[in-house]
Amino acid sequence: MKHVAETELALYTSGDVSLWRRAAVRLHLSGCEACRARMQEYRADQQALRSVAEDLPEGLDWDALSAEMTANIRVGLAAGECVAPRQRATPQRSWLPVAVAAGMVVLLAAGLSLNLQRRAQAPGLTAVEDRSPLVQMNESGIELRANGNSMGVSGAGPGRPVAVSASMQGTARARYVDDDTAQVTITSVYVQ
Amino acid sequence: MKTKFIIPVVLAAVTMMVSGQTLAHKVSLPKDSPVALIADDWGDSGASRAFALDLHVALSLRNTSSRRIHGITLTVTAQEMTAGGKGSISVPSLNVAPGDNFSVRGDLHLLRPLGTGGPQVEVSLDGVLFDDLSFYGPDKLHSRRSMTVWELEARRDRKYFKSLLETAGRDGLQKEMLDGLTRQADRPQFGVQIVRGRATNNDPGREVQFAFLQLPDAPVEPSDGMARIASNEVRAPRLQVRNKSARPIRHLEIGWIVKDQRGQEMVAASLPSDLALAPGASSQVLQDASVRFPQGTAIQSMSGFVSSVEFADGSFWIPSRTALGASNLRRVVAPSPEEERLLKIYQKKGIAGLVEELKKF
Repeated sequence: MKHVAETELALYTSGDVSLWRRAAVRLHLSGCEACRARMQEYRADQQALRSVAEDLPEGLDWDALSAEMTANIRVGLAAGECVAPRQRATPQRSWLPVAVAAGMVVLLAAGLSLNLQRRAQAPGLTAVEDRSPLVQMNESGIELRANGNSMGVSGAGPGRPVAVSASMQGTARARYVDDDTAQVTITSVYVQ
Repeated sequence: MKTKFIIPVVLAAVTMMVSGQTLAHKVSLPKDSPVALIADDWGDSGASRAFALDLHVALSLRNTSSRRIHGITLTVTAQEMTAGGKGSISVPSLNVAPGDNFSVRGDLHLLRPLGTGGPQVEVSLDGVLFDDLSFYGPDKLHSRRSMTVWELEARRDRKYFKSLLETAGRDGLQKEMLDGLTRQADRPQFGVQIVRGRATNNDPGREVQFAFLQLPDAPVEPSDGMARIASNEVRAPRLQVRNKSARPIRHLEIGWIVKDQRGQEMVAASLPSDLALAPGASSQVLQDASVRFPQGTAIQSMSGFVSSVEFADGSFWIPSRTALGASNLRRVVAPSPEEERLLKIYQKKGIAGLVEELKKF
């Protein structure tokens, strides 16, 4: 069975495919468990991303940003044209993939930037600019964060740690004691 | 929605970069490893999100050496060179006889590798500590140091509890356990962030001096400690240390305690330092890092104490229980992993179970 392309599946999840393709993808999903599961993962990820990307950063004017991105693409295209050799067989056709790729890159960068900047801070901690990797610990466990994103965390298991600790060299540890065996397990994450 | 188009594109791009959801994993042990893998269970480990791996691993291992194993550290690697790509699982306070099996379980989230092929995780051995304090392993994570300190603390605490049992009987031991459980419940734990490198707070703050808790038998004397406090952030702690002992020192750790405006104390972090400190010599311990506390926290004072010292010959010093008790540190500092284990045994099996456990060592 030929599966739906990843890109199309992602676009379908957010309702960004044409009506005809939407029907075709829906038909495929009805008979393909793998793609259906994949689509559900996209949906879960999309909801998670939306929950943190819902609000634009304070003071951000989307229209201005959009115009700036468009302008940047145009400037890039114009600059490319200035330095490009004059004698080309089909210059008009060759710009299309370049423009699409440039747009994708800008949109991807903007999307990642918006997402990375707006992940929630830990409750109670100051919302300062977190560009450097940092370790965070509280009674729930330990976490390594960079660009506001969780990069590594110890404490995915059941129960809360009995103790957490961190060193100024960038190591954080969480200590767990098994309820049945009393065995102590210490999980660590490292900034460096 | 304006981000409506960005989100699927980002998702699609990430997905295209990372093909497949199945978590490839392997357990790598050296040929002459003192432990052998009997079985591994990865449960529902997998790539849960675009950037994250959920790992739930349980390994069954056998002691194939001729000595008792008292601790083990395993490295868990998703990406070797990236922050968040690596973690470790340590099990201290073991007592595994040669030929016996034991289990190591761990739950971690790690940064998911982006590249060709599916996500892959490798578990490897960083070190094994034996009952004679000898060590086997590459020690890339300095686990020899951590596990040796945990083991020395375990011996110190078991000796104390056994002595208490002899002098004060089961009632005395039981009272000590109940006190330990109370301290465990009462110990404050704030949310803390530690940032390496530059500080992000624009407030220049003020310099605040450390007070040091002098532990009588400590081989190192700390002094002249300062740090800069700016709103809820404490930056760049630095202090002088002098080697009071007759042996050269190569590593030490200072415990750093802060007190907030409500008078609550907590261990903010440890200040480890690699140094070459000859007998009688002094050196500066400096950390280019900041500690952030929850908003609204106003740090009133700071204190420090020497929590461990490693001599150049590989031997260690740790504070005695008497010193910890006299300086009131036990109220603030977490107990040793062994004391946590014994407290759990007491909770589960009562005083009789605890006494039986102490007899095993």
